[in-house]
Amino acid sequence: MTPNSGGRTLRPFMRTSARGAVLLAGLLVLGATLTGQNAGTPSGPGLDLAGYWSAVFHQDAGLATGGGMIGDYGGIPLNEAGRIYALSWDASRMTVRQQQCPGYVIPYFYFAPQSFRFWEERDPSTQELFAIKMYTQTSEQTRTIWMDGRAHPPAYAPHSWTGFATGAWAGHILKVHTTHLKRAWLRVNGVPQSDAATVDEYFTRHGDRITYVSVVTDPVYLAEPWIRSADFVRAPRDPASWLYACDDAEQIVGRPDDVIPSHLFGQNPYLREYAELRQVPLLGALGGPETTRPEFMATLATAKETDALPRLRPATGASRASVVPDPDPRDGEIHVWPVQGNVYMLVGDGGNIAVQIGDQGVLVVDTGAGRLTEKVVAAIRRLSPKPIQFIVNTSFHPEHTGGNSALRAAGRDPSVIGSFFSTQFADAGRGATIIAHVNVQNRMSAPAGQPAPTPPEGWPSDTYVQGRRRKYHNGEAVEIWHRPQASTDGDSFVQFRRSDVIVTGDLFTTTQYPFIDVKNGGSVQGLIQALNDILDRTVYRAQEEGGTMIIPGRGRVTDEWELAEYRDMIVIVRDRVQAMITAKATLEQVKAAHLTVDYDTRFGATSGPWTTEMFVEAIYTSLTQPPPLTPGAR
Amino acid sequence: MRHLAGVLVIVGMIGLAGAAPRAQGRGGAGGQALTPKAAAPFDLTGYWAAVVTRDWRFRMVVPPKGDYAGVPLNAAARKIADAWDPARDEEPCRSYGAANIMRVPGRLHITWQDDQTLKIDIDAGMQTRVFAFSSRPAGGGWQGASTAQWEVIPGLRGQRTLTGSLKVVTTNLKPGYLRTNGVPYSARTTLTEYFDRITQPNGDAHLIITTTIEDPEYLTQPYMYSTHFKLQADATGWAPRSCSAR
Repeated sequence: MTPNSGGRTLRPFMRTSARGAVLLAGLLVLGATLTGQNAGTPSGPGLDLAGYWSAVFHQDAGLATGGGMIGDYGGIPLNEAGRIYALSWDASRMTVRQQQCPGYVIPYFYFAPQSFRFWEERDPSTQELFAIKMYTQTSEQTRTIWMDGRAHPPAYAPHSWTGFATGAWAGHILKVHTTHLKRAWLRVNGVPQSDAATVDEYFTRHGDRITYVSVVTDPVYLAEPWIRSADFVRAPRDPASWLYACDDAEQIVGRPDDVIPSHLFGQNPYLREYAELRQVPLLGALGGPETTRPEFMATLATAKETDALPRLRPATGASRASVVPDPDPRDGEIHVWPVQGNVYMLVGDGGNIAVQIGDQGVLVVDTGAGRLTEKVVAAIRRLSPKPIQFIVNTSFHPEHTGGNSALRAAGRDPSVIGSFFSTQFADAGRGATIIAHVNVQNRMSAPAGQPAPTPPEGWPSDTYVQGRRRKYHNGEAVEIWHRPQASTDGDSFVQFRRSDVIVTGDLFTTTQYPFIDVKNGGSVQGLIQALNDILDRTVYRAQEEGGTMIIPGRGRVTDEWELAEYRDMIVIVRDRVQAMITAKATLEQVKAAHLTVDYDTRFGATSGPWTTEMFVEAIYTSLTQPPPLTPGAR
Repeated sequence: MRHLAGVLVIVGMIGLAGAAPRAQGRGGAGGQALTPKAAAPFDLTGYWAAVVTRDWRFRMVVPPKGDYAGVPLNAAARKIADAWDPARDEEPCRSYGAANIMRVPGRLHITWQDDQTLKIDIDAGMQTRVFAFSSRPAGGGWQGASTAQWEVIPGLRGQRTLTGSLKVVTTNLKPGYLRTNGVPYSARTTLTEYFDRITQPNGDAHLIITTTIEDPEYLTQPYMYSTHFKLQADATGWAPRSCSAR
């Protein structure tokens, strides 16, 4: 380390002569070497981290390069959800298309076998350091650590592998705080990391070595923060291997797309391989906060196989609710997030609202719960002076149609005004046109003479009965895909092809288990099929990130990775329920088996309109009383 | 001559620039030199508990014979490790030497023995390391002789904030084990450690020890690892116990 004050103290002498300056530079290097501090010239208030760095694999040999064996969780403070998730994980999951080319998430990033290139970004005018960037060799990712004090994005912003990181110098240590991480793996043997995880990091340089400390806080899967350290050494030259050539492909030809490999509780056949090979008591191999403490050595010395057995299955007792805050600010305001291209997401009034703007007029997908409609209209007005021309409803559920009447009244459809419709209907074009599947209209209205559940002003006026409705609007193709028997019998998702955005409605949320509304025609099979249909239309930009962006019915903006993970979860839980049904279990037995224990801390609810029990019951009912096949279902 | 005089002045300034960080301390520059204890840029004292999250299987249990993955051993060392016989390993303290003691799950109690000497008592194996802030430390045996120095970086642009690390170099070691399963280090080993303290947003403080082991007899390259300890409020869990080979 070179003292930062050196160059400043000596600056007056630098004016003496060019020769003196050269000599001075040489002496500075000499001075630094003589003091045993041979780091590069410091820049900024901390140390210079710029250059090529390679990870040292003297610690945890085999974990980084091999990802760890199945059942190797010792020293990870996993909670029950994390442990059961890992035990259920099947390595064949990596054959699933979306699992083949993921990037490295920050808790794994610096523990993976790769080299790094670090550099600084400075304001060209002031030379103030505003970012430190890090590029990784194996995963072809660039990480930005903002050093300019900017705020982290709102909770409804997208997450990424590298998250959103801000840094500051704490003396000679670079402190970094990272949020907005994607759900991923803490270790590539099934140990999960949730998208609620945050990371605090510390980079310290000693000569040509960086000591890196990572503290992962994950309320979903960890019982306490997980601290680890890693070491990098300066690479003398460019590693010259910076790309990551990965494209997914069919790994298992002919496998149906609703097959997601996983192990049922207590049935992981590879569970003991690690413990037996490494001569580690199974109790320790299963991890937990206690395994990180010195006194656990004494526990291990006397541990028996039977001590570990209860930890292989969910504990009995009450199920847990999600520990992840709803990304909706719930502050009585409507918040706008620019998603991509011409499409924006409006957050704050129950279900998410998508807005496409352009020369023709505004197209809105879903209208929220209707509690903040004036603010929704105002937000749309700020995005575009054009009228709200079309409204598409993805579902009849009130969180998606509550604002129909008001938004319709605030808009108009110029494509109808002056057409032959005007000759038949006096109010043609006065108000936006509401488009939805006919089943949405059916469930919002009622036969003549019967009271309708919703006012007629909000009913869809332009319905379709087939699987696909299409429209070219604002310079791009807009496709509306009906998916039968999913959340209900009237769900659609909307694809903006040029903007490359898909709006899913209730088919996908980031906040809760999927609402499978069995009594209104929903089913778990149809829902899984609908999610697979969406995935058939998504393309990631690189490493399962970017490309097609997704606006869920509730929650934050995502890309296909999160939707695929959601699909995987539903399939895995469905398979667990099906296994119990096959074993002649009753609904009560299924509910009592905690089949969602590894997802409850992320999606579960023990109260409210859609609880974990309701979700499990909906799957049970779907499987035991499957709905009749309707056109469009596979 | 005038040029030469200028160069000499510059050389003198360079020397001061290099030396100044070590002379300055928490109390600031100016006046008489501070003692190492007074010059400490951060507080190391207290009880610290190991948080065993890396190399877990090598540290929490005795690994199987021949499992020396990650250690850059040469052929001679591998031959010794492969011949290790726990039944005949009669010296239980071999893995409690300075080159491995910080990896043994346990607790540290760090105190200033005097103004010039930092002491680390370790409950695992009831070992004590003594860091002398002098160029000629005394010592040997399992913990060797350790020379300590603060590597201090003063604040920039007139800021008084000091920061830095404790650097400790240990030699004169009695041969021992890098791991409990007979992975050897020799008497020619040099152990270099940097001690840093980090404080998390929740207030938890950790001691981070960056270690490099150089052993011309048994290693093909420097062996590197880093180890972390969490600061405790008191002596809870402090459990002095004898060395154990199992």
